[in-house]
Amino acid sequence: MASVEYRGMNLVIPENDSEWREHFKLARSSHRLMLRSCKACGLMRYPPSHGCPWCMSLDWEWRPVSGRGHIYSYEVVHHAIQPGFKEWTPYAVVLVELDEQRGRPTPDEALRVIANLVTPEFRPEPEQNVAIGKRVRVVFQDLAPDFALPQFTLTDEPPEGRAWRFPG
Amino acid sequence: MGSLRDKYCIVGVGETEYSRQSARSTRAMAVEAVRNAMRDAGLGRDGVDGMMSYQSGDSTWANWVAPDLGIRLNFYMDVFGGGSSTEALIGLAMGAIEAGMCHTVAIFRSMNGYSDFRIGGTGARAAQPVRGLDLAQVPFGMRSAGQNFAPTFMRHMYEYGTTSEQVAHVRVAHSKHASQNPKAFLKDRVTVADVLASRWICKPLHLLDCCLETDNATALIVTGAERARDLRRRPVYILGVAGRVNKPRTDFHWAHGPITRVAGYHARDIVFGQAGITPDDVDVTGSYDAFTFTTMLQLEEYGFCKKGEGGQYVSSGIIELGGRRPNNTSGSHLCEGYTHGISMVIENVRQLRGQVDDYCPGWEDGKHSYDYSPGKCRQVKDARITMNLGWAMPPTGSALIMRN
Repeated sequence: MASVEYRGMNLVIPENDSEWREHFKLARSSHRLMLRSCKACGLMRYPPSHGCPWCMSLDWEWRPVSGRGHIYSYEVVHHAIQPGFKEWTPYAVVLVELDEQRGRPTPDEALRVIANLVTPEFRPEPEQNVAIGKRVRVVFQDLAPDFALPQFTLTDEPPEGRAWRFPG
Repeated sequence: MGSLRDKYCIVGVGETEYSRQSARSTRAMAVEAVRNAMRDAGLGRDGVDGMMSYQSGDSTWANWVAPDLGIRLNFYMDVFGGGSSTEALIGLAMGAIEAGMCHTVAIFRSMNGYSDFRIGGTGARAAQPVRGLDLAQVPFGMRSAGQNFAPTFMRHMYEYGTTSEQVAHVRVAHSKHASQNPKAFLKDRVTVADVLASRWICKPLHLLDCCLETDNATALIVTGAERARDLRRRPVYILGVAGRVNKPRTDFHWAHGPITRVAGYHARDIVFGQAGITPDDVDVTGSYDAFTFTTMLQLEEYGFCKKGEGGQYVSSGIIELGGRRPNNTSGSHLCEGYTHGISMVIENVRQLRGQVDDYCPGWEDGKHSYDYSPGKCRQVKDARITMNLGWAMPPTGSALIMRN
């Protein structure tokens, strides 16, 4: 069983957690973002699951993606709930839309991932730099020999559509 | 889809005090709330033979509460869940009675939501190990309800130009209503400026965009229409109900947009179809106000305004007492107390009876002044049809339409 301490949280992945047991391990060993891909219809999905949401097939394989995308929405936490995040405030939680499989199989669907927007030093990106539309890429925060947390950091590419920042 | 329109009624409602220091067990509070609802209905211990509750590992059980009141149950069920459970359980109670399993069901929610298991996620909840699907969000400091919902709110502002000022009007309206409610934990009226000046919790949420955390139990009683007509109060008839309706991909609803769409989009045809009415026919709404934004999102999704125009709708005065369609006339979760949704159904039952417990001396006899200045009346004149919009998360919701 994997048990990782991070920011006062106990992240627990028992051996029979067949959704998650490989996810963070693969992130650590490959430093690539790996998603589950349906062997029948080829569509990828996140979070890791056993059934294909589109064709009901139970056959899947891991497939690497580029880890590039844009900020689809976000929030900035000022009042931390978890004690271990207090020294991180204000920190941004971003909903990243990945470049692969956008608008498939229907226009409103996409591969989206939750993470923090961090600097290359894994500090929270200052909130004035966080905006919907900004381009990001995955980075890996190594927490244990067999566990890395996929996070995202800004790139210098032009934004996807208009960049929009909460005015408050 | 079938309908049991007009065949079932809510006949009793009751609650404990809303506080932050109950200093007693969830069992003790549930017993008081259920007893109050039974007395409200004029029912003795033989009058109730079914009991249901909902909780999230923080409360007592129906089969511990019933014996404290001498009730022998023919049916009971405690389900896991918070918001949106009330309406779903009312529908299940109707089904249990329809199946002949029992004849009258008491439904309760009892919680020490401030002094014990804080609803905001601090304390005991924050210390829990992170496992399973929680690994997709919690390791990133996304644990509380506000943190879970905020990207939905933010995207709504991006797509539709919704502003903090507009949604602040939800708090303003509900605080106005709470000032007419002797039970409300917060009775002071606030202004838009007060909301905007309150501290940041999780942008775009200010403190006053967020609901209260309180200790309380709340209960209501469902029975068939024939039995209801012999009881103490004017029966309130159930026209339509939808329970825990989902968007696609509720495991991770961000995967299937538009993320600004909430579950009401899928629930509205079910509940309006059963009731045979349209949003125009509704006199009073009770919309889950865990946050100012949740009320706005649901009102627009159920068709009280066009999608994307929720900001204008909630800031137009329509949702205030004296407006065309007041919302949450008790002050509800933002001001009265936090109950996971049941108190908004209780309030609408009282509205439909014409017996809202405001500061009018004759409220119990249905005598109201309709003076909505502070410390006076909160009865809506001639309320005929009410609607409750229950929320668990952006992708899960319930709804209930009632008439008098």
